[in-house]
Amino acid sequence: MSLPLGAFELTVERQQIPSRLVRMAAPTASVAFGLLVGAVIIWASGQDPILAYTEMAKKGFGGRLALTGTLVLATPLILTGLAAVVAFRMKIWNIGAEGQLILGAVASSGVGLWLGDNGIGGPVGIVLMLAAGAGAGALWAGLAALPRAYLNTDEVISTLMLNFVALGIMNYLIFSSFSHWRDPSRATFPVGRFVDDSMFLHRFTGRLHIGLFIALAAAGALWWALRSTRWGFEVWVTGDSPRAALYSGMRVDRKILSVLMVSGAFAGLGGGIEVGGVLGNLDPRALSLGVGFAGIVVAALARLSPLGVIPVAILVASFTNAKPGLQVLGIPSEIVTLLEGILFLCIVGGEWFLRNAVRLQRRAAGPRPVGVEAAPS
Amino acid sequence: MNGDPTPAASTAEPETSEAGGEPQEAARLHAITKSFFGVPANDRVDFDLRWGEIHALLGENGAGKSTLCSVLAGLYHPDSGEIHLDGERVDLASPQQALEHGVGMVYQHFRLVDRFTVAENLALGHPETGFVASRRSLERQVAELGRRYGLEVSPKAAIWQLSVGEQQRVEILKLLYRGVRILILDEPTAVLTPQEAQSLFTTMRAMAADGQAIIFVSHKLDEVLEVSDRVTVLRDGERVGSMETADADPAALARMMVGRDLSTRARSRTEAGSAALSVKGLTADGDRGIEALREVDLEVRESQIVGVAGVAGNGQRELAEAIVGLRRSKRGQIFLGDVDITRTSTLQRIKMGLGFVPEDRMRTGMAGGLPLTANLALKAYRQPPLSKGPLVSKRAVEERARTLEKQFDIRGVRWAMPTSLLSGGNIQRAILARELSARPKVLVAAAPTRGLDVAAIEAIRQILLDERDAGTAILMISEDLEEIMDLSDEIVVLYEGQIMGRLDPDDATPEVLGMLMAGRTSDADAEADAGPDAGPDAAAESSGDSA
Repeated sequence: MSLPLGAFELTVERQQIPSRLVRMAAPTASVAFGLLVGAVIIWASGQDPILAYTEMAKKGFGGRLALTGTLVLATPLILTGLAAVVAFRMKIWNIGAEGQLILGAVASSGVGLWLGDNGIGGPVGIVLMLAAGAGAGALWAGLAALPRAYLNTDEVISTLMLNFVALGIMNYLIFSSFSHWRDPSRATFPVGRFVDDSMFLHRFTGRLHIGLFIALAAAGALWWALRSTRWGFEVWVTGDSPRAALYSGMRVDRKILSVLMVSGAFAGLGGGIEVGGVLGNLDPRALSLGVGFAGIVVAALARLSPLGVIPVAILVASFTNAKPGLQVLGIPSEIVTLLEGILFLCIVGGEWFLRNAVRLQRRAAGPRPVGVEAAPS
Repeated sequence: MNGDPTPAASTAEPETSEAGGEPQEAARLHAITKSFFGVPANDRVDFDLRWGEIHALLGENGAGKSTLCSVLAGLYHPDSGEIHLDGERVDLASPQQALEHGVGMVYQHFRLVDRFTVAENLALGHPETGFVASRRSLERQVAELGRRYGLEVSPKAAIWQLSVGEQQRVEILKLLYRGVRILILDEPTAVLTPQEAQSLFTTMRAMAADGQAIIFVSHKLDEVLEVSDRVTVLRDGERVGSMETADADPAALARMMVGRDLSTRARSRTEAGSAALSVKGLTADGDRGIEALREVDLEVRESQIVGVAGVAGNGQRELAEAIVGLRRSKRGQIFLGDVDITRTSTLQRIKMGLGFVPEDRMRTGMAGGLPLTANLALKAYRQPPLSKGPLVSKRAVEERARTLEKQFDIRGVRWAMPTSLLSGGNIQRAILARELSARPKVLVAAAPTRGLDVAAIEAIRQILLDERDAGTAILMISEDLEEIMDLSDEIVVLYEGQIMGRLDPDDATPEVLGMLMAGRTSDADAEADAGPDAGPDAAAESSGDSA
């Protein structure tokens, strides 16, 4: 492809995938470039970029409070990121982590409350509560997975739509009914009932709870499963070529089912951990902030690497964590949103530049054909 | 390199004497060099074309034929070198410019709008087509051009209704309609039946007789000898030499093309054993839900190759897929040995010893984006030593790949590289390596050598023969008649999903096979008797009938 620019032209040709070192260094360079572009924009909008960046770093990572806050925010993001990674690896586009997370929270809080009502708590209760969250997420994803696997429906639409159904269920349970989940003692504004204290996830320091380590373990487990198990091998093959998978005797329908359900389980577990580690109850306002959608961004930035999800989720969480603090200093929080967008573009763009060689050269006599495949005979 | 790459390349220009008067030279390419990713596809190639001649461009896959043509057609801009058209130096920056100079190319993949009629496709992109086009005059012109060159197609037919051969005629008509006088045909016969090819040759001769110049790209010696006036051989991006076809010796041409002598295989027929694969009354639907396979009966015995001949799209793919379990069969039965496998899964069939080399190597036979190590493990990953319980041992996968690489002489492998970047020959070797290492009782091989270069074809065929001699029953589906004749112990011809005929390879001539492939049984013998002397006219007539 080429783009004429006066006497010059910009040509683009696909190039061989560069060395491992370059591939590793590229995201860092992309982030640096993105920060540079962001700085120019911040400067142009009348703010001090250095102040903005130092404040963002300070509010995101500076000190125990900021750091633990960031890590707490990163926890569900890691899990929804993993949900996207496992599905996207097989080119199954699960856009429903949001709803799966909500259903996970509904099930976790429901089971947690029921266990508490029946005098069961402590570690056993926590395990059951989180398992219920993961299971509910898996089942919710399964609703989209079954027709996808056997009727070849479009999972993008079904998972997306199920988000709204999940949101409706949660709102109904708290706002529109006197359900098991709702706290009957609060008459003025409807609130979810809190689970028993013994089922709160263990806290280390500040608000940092054991959920982070569950998420880290989940990332490690997914990394290992994709890399070393027969299931992972089959996901790998199916993601690249479903026909080759069928040809070699794999059951692609079951793989779709299992991958989507595992994806849903990660998101559901995220919902359960939010209930057990942060909220203590089913809180519709806190559970509909788009963590499921953010997971897609995290997975894309991590280039679908389960371990890469961890640093990316923490970075994104630090931005979120820094927003209110910046506002106080008179730096509009939109700058953070803007920066997120710029970084996303830069990392995705960096990927593209890795695979394509772009050259500016003096133009040959006439315009060259555009959109012609450059395959040698 | 500054020295002569080959002795033959240092030829004199035969046209230099024609300085004055009407230039006989239609096109001259001088020292054309074009590289892709630093690899030269054309390296200082000279080529000249006279008015009124059919000039064949002969070479293996990847010899640089298509690249050279694309340079002349304005699709690629050469890195260096000169193009002269009609004695005048030109710079062709786009296919449009080439068309304005009267140069047009028919690509292997047609560029027609399916839903438009023939006439509409011709009007499309034509500079004289105004906002309102006169359909009737257009259709009349199309019909007239068609009559003149034996390119008969109904101007009112929509493209999707036409056969591949007819679509090719439309492509040629489109160029003629645009006033093209230098016509480049890139492997035009690859998609045609023998009869259609003969009809195309008639057209080409008519055009040449009219004073136009034709470049005919092919890697099939017989066709080149039959139709061309001159031939230029390319090898590895360089010109090996040019000569008058009348003076050309087939063996010498083959040697120039390949760079070595071709060994002819001594046929050694082994005694066939008991039935290993039996297909009885098999009926199956194609992708569009129409019956693509009707009441097919087949039997392949141990130590036997049964060749399935046929023009692509006559049920070959469906037959292979039904046998290996990738397609549901509507009626009929399939037996492996004496076990009915009609209702078993693909996996069970694999485990029972059914191997499959699919025609679609890059998406079915291989997961193209994965490294070769993984692809070589595609079926074996379920069993030890590759798998231990639910785990796959990465080391065992790599060890196995290395063993197979040596055993089957797979070359150019870098392990982290996506399989799709390997050459076709190596990919096919790898697929065979994987399938044969499972020691199958029955192997279904579809288009086993399509698109490969001569050396790879030779190697793959030898592998199949060795496998047959070792006792495997092989069902070989191929569009390459030479391959069918050369390898098969028995030949069946598939036409519109039915078995059109069964032949002993000793009785099969290309003519007989060609007739069966075109769906004729009754007069097949008569045609075969007429033999090659019947020539293009007879063939043109017969294909005209079928159109």
